Amino acid sequence: MLKYIAKRILLLVPVLLGVSIIIFAIMRVFSPDPAGIVLGQHATEQSMEEWREANGLNEPIVTQYMDYMKGIFKGDFGQSYYTKKPVADEIFSRFPATIELAICAILIASIVGILLGTISAVKKNSIIDNISMILSLVGVSMPIFWLGILLIILFSGILGWLPAQGRIETLLRPENVTGLYLIDSLIEGDMESFVSALKHLVLPSLALAMYSMAIIARMTRSTMLETLSQDYIRTAKAKGIAQGRVIGKHALSNAMIPIVTVIGIQLGYLLGGAMLTETVFAWPGIGKYTVEAIMKSDFPIVQGVVLLIAFIFVMMNLIVDIIYAFLDPRIRYS
Amino acid sequence: MAATQIETTIQDVKREKPESNFRRMWDTLTQNKAAVVGMIVILFLIFIALFGKWIMPYDPNLGDMAVNKQPPSMEHWFGTDEQGRDIFSRIIDGTSVSLSVGLKAVSFALVIGTVLGAIAGYKGGIIDTIIMRVMDMMMSIPDILLAITLMAALGRGIDKAIIAIGLVTIPEYARIVRGSIMSIKDSEYVQAAKVIGNNDFVIIFKHILPNVLSPIIVRATLGISTAILNVAALGFLGLGVQPPYAEWGDMLGRARSFIFESPYMLIFPGLAITITVLAFNLLGDGLRDAFDPKAHH
Amino acid sequence: MKKKLALVIAPILALSMLVGCGSKETTSSTSTEAVEKTESGEEVADTLVFAQGAEPRGLDPAYVDDGESSKVIVNVYEGLLAYAKDSTELEPCLAESWEISEDGLNYTFKLRQGVKFHDGTDFNAEAVKINIDRQLPPQRTEDMPYASFVYADVKDVEVVDDYTVKINLTKKNTAFLANLAMSLAAPIVSPAALEANNGNVNQSPVGTGPYKFVAWSPSEDIVIERNEDYWGEKAKTKNIVFKFIPDNSARIVALKSGEVDMIDGIDSTGVDQIKADGNEVYNLSGMNINYLAYNTTRAPFDDVKVRTALSKAVNVPELVTALYGEYAETATTILPTFMPGYSKDVKQVEYNPEAAKAELESAGFTGPVKMIVYNNPRPYNARNKALAESIQAYWSKIGVEATIEDYDWTTYKDKVVAGDYDVCFYGWVGDNGDPDNFLNLLCDQNVSMNVSRLNDAAYNEIIAEGTSTEKGPERDAVYAKAEQYIADLAVWLPISHANNLSAYSPAVQNYSYHPTGNIFFKDMYKAK
Repeated sequence: MLKYIAKRILLLVPVLLGVSIIIFAIMRVFSPDPAGIVLGQHATEQSMEEWREANGLNEPIVTQYMDYMKGIFKGDFGQSYYTKKPVADEIFSRFPATIELAICAILIASIVGILLGTISAVKKNSIIDNISMILSLVGVSMPIFWLGILLIILFSGILGWLPAQGRIETLLRPENVTGLYLIDSLIEGDMESFVSALKHLVLPSLALAMYSMAIIARMTRSTMLETLSQDYIRTAKAKGIAQGRVIGKHALSNAMIPIVTVIGIQLGYLLGGAMLTETVFAWPGIGKYTVEAIMKSDFPIVQGVVLLIAFIFVMMNLIVDIIYAFLDPRIRYS
Repeated sequence: MAATQIETTIQDVKREKPESNFRRMWDTLTQNKAAVVGMIVILFLIFIALFGKWIMPYDPNLGDMAVNKQPPSMEHWFGTDEQGRDIFSRIIDGTSVSLSVGLKAVSFALVIGTVLGAIAGYKGGIIDTIIMRVMDMMMSIPDILLAITLMAALGRGIDKAIIAIGLVTIPEYARIVRGSIMSIKDSEYVQAAKVIGNNDFVIIFKHILPNVLSPIIVRATLGISTAILNVAALGFLGLGVQPPYAEWGDMLGRARSFIFESPYMLIFPGLAITITVLAFNLLGDGLRDAFDPKAHH
Repeated sequence: MKKKLALVIAPILALSMLVGCGSKETTSSTSTEAVEKTESGEEVADTLVFAQGAEPRGLDPAYVDDGESSKVIVNVYEGLLAYAKDSTELEPCLAESWEISEDGLNYTFKLRQGVKFHDGTDFNAEAVKINIDRQLPPQRTEDMPYASFVYADVKDVEVVDDYTVKINLTKKNTAFLANLAMSLAAPIVSPAALEANNGNVNQSPVGTGPYKFVAWSPSEDIVIERNEDYWGEKAKTKNIVFKFIPDNSARIVALKSGEVDMIDGIDSTGVDQIKADGNEVYNLSGMNINYLAYNTTRAPFDDVKVRTALSKAVNVPELVTALYGEYAETATTILPTFMPGYSKDVKQVEYNPEAAKAELESAGFTGPVKMIVYNNPRPYNARNKALAESIQAYWSKIGVEATIEDYDWTTYKDKVVAGDYDVCFYGWVGDNGDPDNFLNLLCDQNVSMNVSRLNDAAYNEIIAEGTSTEKGPERDAVYAKAEQYIADLAVWLPISHANNLSAYSPAVQNYSYHPTGNIFFKDMYKAK
């Protein structure tokens, strides 16, 4: 097992290296020149040229790439063209917001999704089944940003129950410990902060969760149907074991493997979806920040974010595979 | 799961003659109510895309400032936007944009992905490794992030959106085709074709690909949904079409400033996207069930 | 296996309970508001929250160029001079008085004594010298956006004594004093802080202003607090929070809910809502111009007749009302009405579509016109795409076809420099309140400034006359002449001056917003 994990991690290196080449090429070869936006209203052709020279953009692309990689091995991802802050600072100061949103979304998606899927499978062809399957079909068909907008119109505009933007009321922001406001406010024991953070979190995490929730519900339903039709479940039922126990203990646990896979894949998807959700809800995470950086041609930031997300994505795949092995002893990696 | 599905399909394909097979699949498909609804909606959308010019009550791109930001009424069913353009006409006009971008992006990805996947699967060895590692790299960047980066780099425009959205989905097709080809390239059928002396190209395109068609068709149908969603997302972020052309995502992005003042501006374009995507999803699901009866209980 | 499963599921369940009980609380406490944490019985609330549309780029005045940074900077730093409360008239600030030599090349400033930076170090002549020197060659770097503008003609800085500093210019520049009141490049930074931060205090600003920097949460907000050792009258409110809320409509809602006390960067579309919510709108002429420019180096737009005819086809007042409501003024000249040099006698091309059509027919021109537009909101024009589409519609009415290509702002600037367009859109935000700052754009050698690419010797002469004339009616007349000259050439079609539109809760006292687009919080407060 350990050997397998080590081998997989080793294999990540060429993938990440490749990703860095792809993104470097897209940014530096094709993207608009950042000099104009960095230097502002008084930029002249001469000052733009000087700026390009000072930032190494006049070097051959290969030299630029080598310099960039040399920096990375020293832990230096460069600095934002726009704010001159180190890339790592810019990204990691915004990362907890995205993590909090993504975790919340995946929790909603898995809990509601598994619940809906299970009920649908058990009560196959009932009204509940039909409604939840129609809902999940609509869920995968809705643009995530439109859903976000509808939630804002309803809950912030018409009902006025929940805030449309941001993460917390400024004055209630807890001391930074984990960077996750829900947890930090609990550490501080400040319920008012906790409630504020939660209220801000509800709409964006719902919007972000919808797509994954629909996928998980459909997946759960089909795998549950498969297991429920298997002989040993019928036997258990025949033995007179209560239905709840049959579903909970036997059927659901056997359906867990494909569900875990889907959840793992969805977490990767959520990082992409976060770009749109964060933009709609002005959520101060890396998704929104990345969109802004792309629009401003802030090369070092975009390169850093893409590398980070690619890293998370491949790690998630690895973790899913490892969880497989735990859930199903029949799977052995060598 | 996917592998077993594909294998069964292949066995089915081998067992039966193609005509009777398609007949059976068509029957299964038409018995599936959801898929039929999807098909009808798609036909309706195609009709609108082709003949919309004659249906729309106003010029979709020419506004009348005197009637800007009007809520839905008898004159303007879906209301007007900030420049006084008729939203109903713009949504009709946007149909062809969304459908054609979806179709073209998928075709683009399909052709390149199929060629790459076929080469990788058939040749194996170092070529396979190189192609598939590159695919892995592309897949480890979320679609929408890669598409936004590409659009920002290439600049706005429908053609560029098609390329950006197409490019990011190439790996999916390459993987499906490669997997399918690996599973049948050693079959007697293909061996026989080799023995007869066909060259690789003929074997791949004439003998192998037709046999892996069904998973590709299913994937492509669902892929159109994804492509339409992605082009809408690009439009929403302001990276889509050139003005003044109507595109649903772009309409949503612009109307966002009026979210509390004129929410109706945000309802209809989103509805249009959802309905279109839903239709392709229904058809795609139906096709999957038709090609692989075992997947449905 | 069961145990392992439990390991996976247990935390999920635990967290789901957390979410579950949390959501109950959401519904039960919907009306909870930000309660100011009080410390004493003062009747003034401790905190005012201001929401702006974007995050500042940084807080070092030498390294930024954006209005969002500037709004924070003016509360933390001060310059040698300052603007009056509601205009661009100049007032003493860190300099108590100054003398200008006969030839206009030497400026001697007497500095205010006893002023301390927030870090406790003294403000003195040496500090002024360090601040200006770092923005002069050879120390000046290419990424100081305003250094070459504010200190354009500065030769060197001499420390005469601790509280006297002499700035020498290379040539006469009537606008130099105005530059020193600007919010970019001119504010004075603590030399100790500069040294501690490698010459860039973007993240840790230290000035002499009425407020001190406290914290900056990326993408969320900046907090500043009252400088208790301020040399002048101290600020009324203890804390000011700058919150970043990008969506205009969301800022309006935040104001309505009481989450914030003041917002800016709104446009006309939100005004009715704000008033309906019972909040106040502050509508102030802005120091900017939003214009359409013809590329005078491309046929047939090198022909004044064609340009005039096309401009005649556009009903500017109608357009401005429809697009910007009453919250932008139709531009009748390039200069905003409140600036010295503005003249109401300047006449632009008059709207007359029939004549336009006839003239274009006789010139044999039917298009197409290639327009390029930027799609990011700019301070002078939030809706360039809509503007371009409206003009496209006006021209199509007289049978001229126009195409629109739109780009993000950076790409757009490149396209402008590349020059492949017939018509482009641009704007200018005044820097120092001096007319030269607007009108010399049309004689700038740099095509990214002079987007019409005009090179007209007679015009250049008028502008040169302006820069060497003393402030006063004589100088104003020179600029009025320049304006009419440009209007007759129909090089630009001036569209509008965007108003600085901001809004505030009626609880906020002494609210004001400066024509330069800044907001000074020193005197504002609200009752508890």
